[in-house]
Amino acid sequence: MIAAATPDRAGDSLLASLWTAFSLRHGGDEPFVPLAEDAIARLVEQARAGATGARQLLYEQHVDRVFRTVRGMLRSDADAEDVTQDAMLTVLSSLHTYRPRPDVRFAAWVMAIAANTARRRFRRRRPELTETGDLPDIPAFGVDPAEALDRDRQRRALLVALAELPDREREVITLRYGADLNASEIGAAVGAGSAAIRKMLERTRVRLGARIDELLNPEGVAR
Amino acid sequence: MNDVGDAWTTLEPTLPQRQRIDAQVFAWLEARDTPLAVEWLRLFKAEPFSAAGLLATSAVSLAAATPVFWLAFGLF
Repeated sequence: MIAAATPDRAGDSLLASLWTAFSLRHGGDEPFVPLAEDAIARLVEQARAGATGARQLLYEQHVDRVFRTVRGMLRSDADAEDVTQDAMLTVLSSLHTYRPRPDVRFAAWVMAIAANTARRRFRRRRPELTETGDLPDIPAFGVDPAEALDRDRQRRALLVALAELPDREREVITLRYGADLNASEIGAAVGAGSAAIRKMLERTRVRLGARIDELLNPEGVAR
Repeated sequence: MNDVGDAWTTLEPTLPQRQRIDAQVFAWLEARDTPLAVEWLRLFKAEPFSAAGLLATSAVSLAAATPVFWLAFGLF
């Protein structure tokens, strides 16, 4: 996806090994492997020192997660693309302002920026399936059409169910399942205690799951 | 009941979406990291006549505007 670039600093052994994983992902069918927090911390240091390879790896580690997080909060794919771009630019150009804290992952800082960007730009909009009637992207070559259709139905059901949630609950559940943050990280991002977040998550998860079921199997609910 | 975590994987960006995001972000970062002198050099390499014209126009504009502004500030 990104034009190939090699780690640009001599003696960058961490980058060299990470680069192999990065290249594999883009060249073949290798699944994406999230890096451990200490490896992320080293990448942040190297990116701050100007290593563009480290910056690209940080981008690669977080961009999909940012997209699926903001997609849950916004009304369309186009909005999610715009906000993902803005958020990733803010992250990569503000690395010098990042202050590591114990028990808080770098991803939490990234996702807080993403959530703020989404909130600031599209606060009053509700998520919708589509605002322009755009056709969905054609499934990638080799993807089973039936499977693609099933995923599309599930995606639509999730977006409809999310649109029905109050803003606060939608943001919290999106930070949990889209951004993969834990209760204390979500609490720090939205300004609430972790116990309150846990309660809200449990309640919202049950409600959202039931609503998705209802949307996917309307005849089953009617019986 | 539906697994909410699994459902969320359907919100991943598609390949064309990822390509668009990657292109925008890295174009912006490259522009930010490129010094102005290098941008001018690239412009001269790609469009030598247009670049020379642009440079000449800018220089003439600056040269002409300076005494005009000086006079205007002196009068008012």
